[in-house]
Amino acid sequence: MSHPRLTGPWLAAGVLAAAALMVTACTSQSSTTAGQRVDSGDWDSVLAQADGQTVNWYMYGGDDTLNGFIAGYVADRLAELGVTLNQVRVTDTADAVNKVLGEKQAGRSSGGSVDAIWINGENFATGVQADLWSCGWVRGLPNSRFVDFTRPAVNNDFGTPVKGCEAPWQEADSALVYDSDQLSESDVESVSSLLSWAAAHPGRFTYPALPDFTGSMAVRTILYDTVGGPDSLTDPFDEDAYTAAANRLWPRLNAIEHSLWRGGSTYPRSQAAVEKLYSDGEIDAFFTYGPGAVADQVKKGVYPDSTREAVLDGGNIGNVSFLAIPANAEHSAAALVLANILLDPETQLALYETEGIYPAIDLERTDKQTQQAFADAPRSLSVLPLSTLTQHTQPELGSDYVTRLEHDWKTNVLQQ
Amino acid sequence: MSFSSSRSVPRGLRILLLLTPALVVVAVFFVGGVSQAVAQSFGYQPFLPSSRWSADAYRSLWHDPAVRASLGLTIRVSVLSTFLAAIIGVAGALLIRRVGSRTWAHAMFQANLAVPHLVGALCMLLLLSQSGLLSRLSHATGLTSGPADFPELTQDRFGWGIIAEYVWKETAFIGVIALAALNRGVSELEDAARLLGAGAGQRFRHVTLPALLPSVSAASVLVMAFVAGSYEVPYLLGRPYPATLPVVALEYYRDVDLTARPQAMAVAVLITGVSVVLVAAYFTLTSRLVRREL
Amino acid sequence: MRRAFLGLLLAGLLLPLLPLLVWVVSGTWRYPDLLPSDLTTRGLNLLGDRRTPVLEGLLTSTVIGAAVSLVACLIGFPAGRALGLYRFRGRRVVQFLLLAPVIVPGLAVALGIQVFFVRLGLSDSVSGVVLVQLMPTVPYAATVFGAAFANLDVDYERQARTLGAGPVRTLLFVTVPLLRPAIVVAALLTFLISWSEYVMTLLIGGGQVKTLPLLLFAAIGSSDTTAAAALALLVVLPPLLLLMAAAPLLSGRSGAMVGVGRL
Repeated sequence: MSHPRLTGPWLAAGVLAAAALMVTACTSQSSTTAGQRVDSGDWDSVLAQADGQTVNWYMYGGDDTLNGFIAGYVADRLAELGVTLNQVRVTDTADAVNKVLGEKQAGRSSGGSVDAIWINGENFATGVQADLWSCGWVRGLPNSRFVDFTRPAVNNDFGTPVKGCEAPWQEADSALVYDSDQLSESDVESVSSLLSWAAAHPGRFTYPALPDFTGSMAVRTILYDTVGGPDSLTDPFDEDAYTAAANRLWPRLNAIEHSLWRGGSTYPRSQAAVEKLYSDGEIDAFFTYGPGAVADQVKKGVYPDSTREAVLDGGNIGNVSFLAIPANAEHSAAALVLANILLDPETQLALYETEGIYPAIDLERTDKQTQQAFADAPRSLSVLPLSTLTQHTQPELGSDYVTRLEHDWKTNVLQQ
Repeated sequence: MSFSSSRSVPRGLRILLLLTPALVVVAVFFVGGVSQAVAQSFGYQPFLPSSRWSADAYRSLWHDPAVRASLGLTIRVSVLSTFLAAIIGVAGALLIRRVGSRTWAHAMFQANLAVPHLVGALCMLLLLSQSGLLSRLSHATGLTSGPADFPELTQDRFGWGIIAEYVWKETAFIGVIALAALNRGVSELEDAARLLGAGAGQRFRHVTLPALLPSVSAASVLVMAFVAGSYEVPYLLGRPYPATLPVVALEYYRDVDLTARPQAMAVAVLITGVSVVLVAAYFTLTSRLVRREL
Repeated sequence: MRRAFLGLLLAGLLLPLLPLLVWVVSGTWRYPDLLPSDLTTRGLNLLGDRRTPVLEGLLTSTVIGAAVSLVACLIGFPAGRALGLYRFRGRRVVQFLLLAPVIVPGLAVALGIQVFFVRLGLSDSVSGVVLVQLMPTVPYAATVFGAAFANLDVDYERQARTLGAGPVRTLLFVTVPLLRPAIVVAALLTFLISWSEYVMTLLIGGGQVKTLPLLLFAAIGSSDTTAAAALALLVVLPPLLLLMAAAPLLSGRSGAMVGVGRL
């Protein structure tokens, strides 16, 4: 009987591997064309197209109350029009942008897996640079008449002109959440008083590691307090102004480190981790972009009843977040319908009632009934009234500054 | 063994056909995937015409403090976890053999083995964090007065939380392997040795240990490679910086700046390299493993 | 004394699960309380709530697990036969090739091939996830079947053939029943590996294929520990039940145990 040859299985493996690689590598490339324009002008045809589609909406999934609202109210409204909602929760919006980028790189210029992204800031800017977004559809939405497009926060996203490439959805205004049993009102008056309290009670305050969105905001809040506001950091990116401001910021951040949780030797991974620390009783205060959601957490028993909020003097930071539609989205009609529903005053009211989120639409443009409903909406003790939240809102920095801050924070603070 | 059948499928061909589906899976995914990771780490970009081959990714890795710290942490965590799990697992197996109640022990080992690592990570967080159950117990007994007084066992610089989870799970794994090795007639050999006058220490060194060593070392090497390459537990129980290599790889991969991709691939290749060394060790050891297995 | 140590060890194997069980029903349980200040069924209700992705995750995980188990065993069975019954040159090499995916982290491989999955339209799909999960499972299936075939007495097959049974009948009515324990073990093992898999599902499934580990990972990072604990309970029960059901088949088979530690 002959020896079975050694090469049999070996050869098979080698040939198959080579074949596999070649087949995948030599698949003909389709050209990366610019995105298809979605025509929102003819709304009836959009509705007809959308009927029966599923919209894959990629959004930050760390807010349970919001998730419940989306899965309930928004999904139901979409279902009425024949659209199925697939809410894809991501821990970082950059993941969704990365996905679209990856698809573009792989040559998928249509039939993309991402239909809509809840987005703003540097993530939007990245997409603009890479030409990822479908543009020119926002004004065509029937409910866009409720939006005041002249507001700088609406047509400028962290310094990047929106140019009709994303539709506003909600407003965020930052606030400090704290346990009133541990901090007094005078402690939360300003950034300085907060940091003094932290120095007297080390380990009870922290912020998430950048580039987390809220961590970035915490650093920017301290930056605004250090240099007196965002006015010195104008667009386009000014290296000298940035360096001057940063050189005053890093020493302050490093100086407060031993007042922070774990002595500042490490920072929690994300805003969700920070909220977990607060809920577990390891810290007593934290910054948030979603002050309205706190009420629900107190109700569930996740946060203590003594939870309160404050706006530090020097102002808080506010921004508008948007819905963007990738140019290669498969279900762009359904995405348009989603964007339209989100701008509906009824939706904005329901969102306000559930989450305390300030509407992105201009209330003056809605009818009297709606305006009254907004004014009458019940409010929990743990949440600040909107007037307080929006009284001293400062604008965001340009996204170039933000990206640079996030990068330099790692080298100047985290890795020290 | 061959059949003297009327079918004239040559033996070599028959073996090839039987192995082909498995080899296809391995070739396409494994061989293809790893070589793609290597290629992409050198700058190859599939589907884009403008690939520039360079070793830039490796050079920047060498200078990246995150990666250097990460390599140390990864090796420390995998070696320590394996070492502790092996010692406790073998000790446990020897104890069980001595004391009896084997079915109970087996059941408990297997119940532990059934718990996925993700769930184990959650259990360790609930137990070991500064606001976890152990911390509350020490507060109740007056040892600590606040969460910050309790030692840092999760999200700590050394990696104790990560080590704890892996030791918890892998002890049962190695314990079961050790028990299986001990069940194969070792007791008879030990009895024979005792009859011939060997003391307890001598019996252990010359009979028990050699019987255990092949399978336990092979299992340990498997554990070490597994720990070095896993993501979930170090992410949940460790710090953002330094993080283990797989966490760093995924972080670079998800960077919107696509120039970080080759770096992600380079880190992945680094992990693979570390594991390949361990595979070589594994095979040297399993060649001594007892007959009836593969 | 020894009994005490043993008791401690065995208790340590399962005690860490205790806080998890308590958290499932905790309403508020802040530091430094040793027991929850109030209990709730909120966590358990979440598991059945259609508004959450939990039921979808359960279905997806089960479907993927079953599919992976089936395909991996179908592939591993013939491979195990070749490895167990035949001695041939290159056998060691094939063993090496088949076991290497067990050692080399799946993360590295998934990163490398991800862009191809996108190109082939396999990303964000259940079939893509099933395919990529074959990589860690086929080696285990092949190993288990290899050990089983090595212990198989080929005479049974030979007798069946001389009695006139064709190769298919021999396979179905002689070989498979003889290998039933190994088939159960391989199917169980591959199902459990798939059930617990996170990174590959994340990379290839792209967030759209929602399996239970994906949901659990997000829940663990959140501030709602009750929900995370409830979800963890859901994730741990099927493996516990399945493994206990198959326990008698697993004792003493170190070849099979090689796979379980990976869970």
